Amino acid sequence: MVWKTIAGLFPSWSMLFQGFIIFIVPVALTRTMTWIGAKEGKVSTRGLRAEGTKGGGVPSAAGSGGNVQKSNPAPRKIKEGGDSVSVADHVSASMTYTGQFQEDLQKFKEMSADMADVNVRELRIGALQIKAALLFVDGLTDKDGMDRNILKPLMNAMRPFEGMTTAPEANVLKNIIIHQVILVSEIEFTANPLMSLQKVLFGSAVLLVEGMTEVFVMGTPKGRTRIGEEPVSEALLRGPRIGFTETLSDNTAMLRRNGQNTELAMISFTVGKRIQKEMVLTYIKDIANEELVEEVKRRIRTIDIDDVKESGYVEQLIEDNYLSPFQQIQNTERPDRVMAALLEGRVAILLDGTPFALIMPVTFAMLLQSPEDYYDRWIAGSLLRVLRFLAATISLFGPALYISFLSFHPGLIPTKLVISIINSRQGVPFPSLIEALIMEVSIEILREAGLRLPKPIGPAMGIVGGLIIGQAAVEAGIVSPILVIVVAVTAISSFSMPMYSAGITLRMLRFVAMFFAATFGLYGVILFFLLLSSHLIKLKSFGVPYLSMAAPYRIRDWKDFIIRMPLQFMKRRPELLKPKEPRR
Amino acid sequence: MNAEVKDRITTTQATIMMVNYILAAGILTLPRTVVQASGTPDVWISVILGGILSMLTGAVIVRLNQRFPGQTFFQYSRRIIGKPLGVLLGMVIAGYFLCIASYEIRSVQEVTVFFLLEGTPSWAFAFAFIWTALYLCRGGINAVSRMCRLIVPITWTVFAIVCLLSLKVFDINNLRPVLGEGLGPVWKGVKPTSLTFTAGEALFFLIAFMDKPKKAMRVLVVGTCIPTFFYVAAVVLTIGAFSVDGVVTRTWPFLDLIRSFEVDYLIFERFESLLLVIWIMQIFCTFCIAFYGAALGMSQILNKKFHNCLFALLPVVYVISEIIPSINALFAFGTGIGNWAIVLFGCMPLPLLIIARLRRIGP
Repeated sequence: MVWKTIAGLFPSWSMLFQGFIIFIVPVALTRTMTWIGAKEGKVSTRGLRAEGTKGGGVPSAAGSGGNVQKSNPAPRKIKEGGDSVSVADHVSASMTYTGQFQEDLQKFKEMSADMADVNVRELRIGALQIKAALLFVDGLTDKDGMDRNILKPLMNAMRPFEGMTTAPEANVLKNIIIHQVILVSEIEFTANPLMSLQKVLFGSAVLLVEGMTEVFVMGTPKGRTRIGEEPVSEALLRGPRIGFTETLSDNTAMLRRNGQNTELAMISFTVGKRIQKEMVLTYIKDIANEELVEEVKRRIRTIDIDDVKESGYVEQLIEDNYLSPFQQIQNTERPDRVMAALLEGRVAILLDGTPFALIMPVTFAMLLQSPEDYYDRWIAGSLLRVLRFLAATISLFGPALYISFLSFHPGLIPTKLVISIINSRQGVPFPSLIEALIMEVSIEILREAGLRLPKPIGPAMGIVGGLIIGQAAVEAGIVSPILVIVVAVTAISSFSMPMYSAGITLRMLRFVAMFFAATFGLYGVILFFLLLSSHLIKLKSFGVPYLSMAAPYRIRDWKDFIIRMPLQFMKRRPELLKPKEPRR
Repeated sequence: MNAEVKDRITTTQATIMMVNYILAAGILTLPRTVVQASGTPDVWISVILGGILSMLTGAVIVRLNQRFPGQTFFQYSRRIIGKPLGVLLGMVIAGYFLCIASYEIRSVQEVTVFFLLEGTPSWAFAFAFIWTALYLCRGGINAVSRMCRLIVPITWTVFAIVCLLSLKVFDINNLRPVLGEGLGPVWKGVKPTSLTFTAGEALFFLIAFMDKPKKAMRVLVVGTCIPTFFYVAAVVLTIGAFSVDGVVTRTWPFLDLIRSFEVDYLIFERFESLLLVIWIMQIFCTFCIAFYGAALGMSQILNKKFHNCLFALLPVVYVISEIIPSINALFAFGTGIGNWAIVLFGCMPLPLLIIARLRRIGP
């Protein structure tokens, strides 16, 4: 009797076979993945990257808190277009210029070592050949005016120095230069290097002359002309109407103007093997995490490609997981967005020749945020954000839910609705999956076509495609009217994503969700959700967990996730980035 | 010896994992099993008692673990009772986790195929479930705990809504008289809760991952109280709606409770499928934790790589879940696991703790 029961419990052959299948499929998949990874590591330099500790970036937040340094005593090496300059950090504020030209110039260079957009132009003044240097920021100063009113008179200054053989006293020289040489109305003096650097960064030109303990600060800011157009891809109702342009110096200048801060570092790189392009890595020195910056630099150095055409190339070459459907680096045209990210402790990359800047690391919640959330009052901002979350959910699961409700669980929805749906579907010859696929695919084609058309034709095509075809398809009995509603709502929801590229991801995953729903119904939808969440949980962007906002280590970070708390309450920077100064 | 132990989780994460581990398929059947054992409407007291008892046994496990900070049971058991016995005990516990995982997947399969997906082959169901779990578990304990954190707001909200709605069919008279038959039947009802409240064993490896192991007691208390609350709510509401006699005759009393009312002022009319799919997520978490525990135990006992163990256990967990011939056998299997749990985690840790103390092992 007992033996019989036990024998009955022995698994049958088919069960053992299933057990084998359940084992072999994931093993094969993993093997393939490892193989692809190894292959890819061989063909590109990305392999180097993977050797970083824990994928590099911000130290894994798990438990390793508290070892963030406030200052960095060790001198860092910064690669600047090939030659490296060693930098002694932290120049004390009480320091003054000594009057020794080389020494002063060196001092200034050290202070601005990681600001590649600060230019130094050395010159000799007039007949006496007094050593001098003009310091200014590219893009912020009016170069034409500077050439005409400062450089030219200084170099041509013959008459004021007539009869002198050696350089005059500092005071005399100063008077001569102001009174007889320079054609600038706004002149100040300072002996403080830090002060002068600040002036330079805010758009003035600074003249350093040998033998003088004070420097000339000349107001030559460029007129505040509007450089960039309003970004097309990220339109806002409220907020600055300015976007990045294709010129790198304009873009860096725009950032400087946006945040007048001496801690804003800009580090220049040259990328591309054959066609070299300038790229600027920017971050705020006393906020951004040291390790994050180092990791980004390291990954940039692994870029090995003939020509970096657009920042999208950079994005794909330095992201963590290239197999993931989610973007791990955000691209934006808005300087205010970049500035806000920098203030949170993130890092941005600007590339010459494209208006798209890259922000990293990225978390999932950022893809659904718009700068407007912060410009509007907090109640409105929070509501809009909730709305966007809802829209994202609909655009991801809308058709999948339709399929699963209709083919598997009509009992869940109200009976009257079921009856009306069934009535309207009576003439439809396809199962709901095919029906939904027809409609979804055609609307994707419509959208893609609308994108390529010239602006005046676009709306017309929308009307023809959306209204007429939809109506005709219903009347012809290919799809049911309810489905047209579902598809339309889904499409509109996906338009409400503030980031275009995030919208694409959701559009793509929507089809996967539909197939899951067609196989397993609601269970399939839940399974898809779990799978997606598992993927997002494991995904990291520069060491920062992608989903860390939704499942944070600290509840504190939650107040900027779905609800945007009033600004007064947002006193802390997001903890997951491990910023140097957590309070703002 | 194992890189996985380097991961760290916070106290809150550990608590949420604990809650998710306890809350599982049990909620669907618990009202029936306790009422069958005791036969009085006072079983909610049994559930509370069960919770307290599991907390007590859990406390012993916590004490035991705190003697060996940063080590899981599978690592330190051989230090207490010698290598052969320790390995044996570790294997038994890993096997236990495996059985829990199989039990969970089989019960969710039974109930889903019955309510949601008639005609779907069970292997298709199980494959999808197990593979998703495998994908998550490969991310390590942090991934599992984040998943728990992610689904908690969703599942708890839906559970709360459903409970509030079911007040419509609630009749307080079904619960009266309180203690009408004395304490005797209440005690009888405690034993079946052991399967539901298999709490402490998760602590065998959870504490090793905690960044502040000192707070393990808090994890235990909070992590047991919250599920107790859920279970008491489920038991009280079910008995309140169906009375004691009605509960015994239903296979899935809690789902039947939700089937028994319709709501015409919301988008959904019936909620049992909704609750079920939401609860699948909850069971998914329990499955992942148990599966993770089993794989971790295997890898630490046999000194193999964790990922290989995960893969190797896949067919085992599947076959165990599928050789159970019928739903009654499944319930018998559940009771068996419950008894096993009482022996393993109710009685065994105390002698181990005493031996460890006598032999002065650990700090």
